[in-house]
Amino acid sequence: MNKEKFLYPPGDFSIWIIIYIELITFGLFFIGFAFSRKGQVEVFNASQLLLDQRFGLVNTILLITSSYFVVKAVTIIKTINTEESFQKASVYLLGAIGLGGVFLIIKIIEFSDKYSQGINLSTNSFFMFYFILTIFHFMHVVLGMIILYNLYLNTKVGLYTKKEHRGLETGASYWHMVDLLWIVLFPLVYIIR
Amino acid sequence: MANITKVWIGLLLFTLFAFLLGWLQIIGSFLVCVLLITTFFKGYLVIEYFMGLSEVRLKYRLIPTVWLGTILFFIAIAYY
Repeated sequence: MNKEKFLYPPGDFSIWIIIYIELITFGLFFIGFAFSRKGQVEVFNASQLLLDQRFGLVNTILLITSSYFVVKAVTIIKTINTEESFQKASVYLLGAIGLGGVFLIIKIIEFSDKYSQGINLSTNSFFMFYFILTIFHFMHVVLGMIILYNLYLNTKVGLYTKKEHRGLETGASYWHMVDLLWIVLFPLVYIIR
Repeated sequence: MANITKVWIGLLLFTLFAFLLGWLQIIGSFLVCVLLITTFFKGYLVIEYFMGLSEVRLKYRLIPTVWLGTILFFIAIAYY
């Protein structure tokens, strides 16, 4: 096995530049949220009570499990290359897309619920951050699902193999980043008070 | 059980723990600290095992891990 392969992160290196930029961008929003809260603790705590933490819990489980499915698909392709393994990996990817879809549906229900209560971006600082962060993240999930769908199509026809799976790892890395961002977002927005 | 499955179960348990803190409204200064530490571990598990960075050069592993630590550190500073 080529040792050089392990010197760099999985997938195309350009995706890692994008991932680092995304992490910094979201990171600044996270810090902005935390320090805005410091000046308006009561407003933030009262507003947080209007969120349903169960949505946050289910969405976290969905994204973590979806990421897990993607890891399983990548592992299969990197280990075995048979018609059966291509099908099995593609089923895992389809499962990951499905879970991402349920995540989006729950977010839409949550957004609709807030709008129906007359809550929007201009309600207060908490909801300004809440909508900016979660809508921005929502868009990343949508893009991630489009990427996963392409990976699914390619995997199904056996385009990725034990020797050449860079494209699969590139898309997978992006999806894991989406998961990583939510892992910080969930306690910050829904739990910490 | 494969390592990756254990990581997945660990992530789910940490998530459930965080949810229970919020749901039972028992979260205070100390538990916020515990929550941030468990969030760091969750992120670390994703970085190392899901992103697969445990097998690459240290500097590439460190970038997202340092990012995670820094963000959570600033959140803690802002909280306390």
